[in-house]
Amino acid sequence: MIELIRRVAESAGDREAIVTGQVTTYAALLARSEAAAAALAGRGVTRFAIADHEAEVVLPLLAAASAIGAEACVLPPDPPAVLAELLGRFEQPVLVTDRADLADLEVTAYSSTELFGAPAAIGTETAPARPHLVLTTGTTGAPRGVRHDWARLLRGVRRVQPAPDERWLLAYGLHQFAGLQILLHVLAAGATLVAPAPRRPREGLAAMREHHVSHASATPTYWRFLLAELTSDGGAVPQLQQITLGGEAIPGPLLAQLRGTFTQARVSQVYAGSEFGSTGSTRDGRAGLPASVLNRPEDADVAFRIDDGELWIRSRTGMLGYYGEPPVDPDGWRATGDLVDLDGDRIVFRGRASDIINVGGVKVHPLPIEERVAAVSGVALARVYGRPNAMTGTIVAVEAVATPGADPDLVKNAIRDACADLPDAARPRSVRIVDEITTAGGKIVRRTDV
Amino acid sequence: MTAAAIEKTVVDFLTRTKKLPTDFHVEMNLYADGVGLDSLETAELSALLEDEHGEDPYSSGTMPQTLAEILAFYAAGAQA
Repeated sequence: MIELIRRVAESAGDREAIVTGQVTTYAALLARSEAAAAALAGRGVTRFAIADHEAEVVLPLLAAASAIGAEACVLPPDPPAVLAELLGRFEQPVLVTDRADLADLEVTAYSSTELFGAPAAIGTETAPARPHLVLTTGTTGAPRGVRHDWARLLRGVRRVQPAPDERWLLAYGLHQFAGLQILLHVLAAGATLVAPAPRRPREGLAAMREHHVSHASATPTYWRFLLAELTSDGGAVPQLQQITLGGEAIPGPLLAQLRGTFTQARVSQVYAGSEFGSTGSTRDGRAGLPASVLNRPEDADVAFRIDDGELWIRSRTGMLGYYGEPPVDPDGWRATGDLVDLDGDRIVFRGRASDIINVGGVKVHPLPIEERVAAVSGVALARVYGRPNAMTGTIVAVEAVATPGADPDLVKNAIRDACADLPDAARPRSVRIVDEITTAGGKIVRRTDV
Repeated sequence: MTAAAIEKTVVDFLTRTKKLPTDFHVEMNLYADGVGLDSLETAELSALLEDEHGEDPYSSGTMPQTLAEILAFYAAGAQA
């Protein structure tokens, strides 16, 4: 990954690489990366975790790791006790952090300052094996460590064309695979990463306006929140050239809403996952994937098939396996956990297999119900999930955030009316108006008992 | 919580779901030949009682047959 930075730094070193409160050029990014690489190699570090989230800190550390073949792992932005558990679970011997509240953790710790201040003395050859560890967000249980290799990850961006004028918003955490994808795309394009902190829709909207963001990629949940922020503050609509959605099934009404708001922007979708990597983007503005992806040749980098209603992928950019488990066939077929239907020329996403609600033995997909509820007048945001119940094991439950000024009781009744024609088991039996919706990693959490 | 508030929760629910018999009374059976709640409607009532009154008899392992038994569950809890 350091080779992407080096390529731009050598030809356009003063180009902006990262914009936060400050600007980091490609030349400065390379200098930091090489200094950190030399410092880590000099200390004999072969694996380390990163507990900071500022892009100007994390990027050079990842680049340094990729240069010397050390395995880096960016931890989620959690309290010390959670990080201590993760460090133990993934047997991390070294932590790089500038956080004062982590001083008591029993691990060898280095500050980014001491690594970036080291004299740089590394060659330009990269290590033969260049591992990288990504933790899953844990929306379906405890986080797992997904083992990648930089050479395979970089294969996913080898067709990215130079685009020095593009300014990409970082809406994901850099501990997330999607954040890593944005990072690689930006570096491969020689573009600029605009990285607000924290990475919430409110800060994202402000960064779009202040730093002239041209491209933004985020989850549908993030975009829904951002549209709500935009409506609420009444400010200028950012002049985006491209909007990308991924990470969750994408409702058609949201695509229409985005097109109506960001009238100059091209709307595309990406389908990617921590395990199977990036599969490319779809730019036809329709929800789902074109069915033609099922006809890709045997030697394609990414191939698809549908098996018993679930999408399977074979990817040459995907993971090597899970941490602590036997390696998988890196080029073999893997179930994605995404349930799909083939509808004409389209693969339509129905939701995650793990999101299915079992109502007295009847399986209910939450996503179509959530789309209905989200379209109800007075509903700003909604989530549909399984609520434990003594009578039927689980019932379909709705949590909705009402739009400002909406009468909660009227909104609840409108939600029930909108779902009245659903089959009995699928009809929401619990409807609550809440102040906010539970999310993890920028995605709505739909699993039971949250 | 008062018995009146709990009764209002049940009656409002039965009214909304069009299950309130004209001759409804606290001793009427909530299921079968009485009010006629099915399992999903009962599940909905249990969730509603939990939301509005903090706990519900169904989740506590009992199966109240009438509104009177629901009221008795809360009354017993209040005395405990």
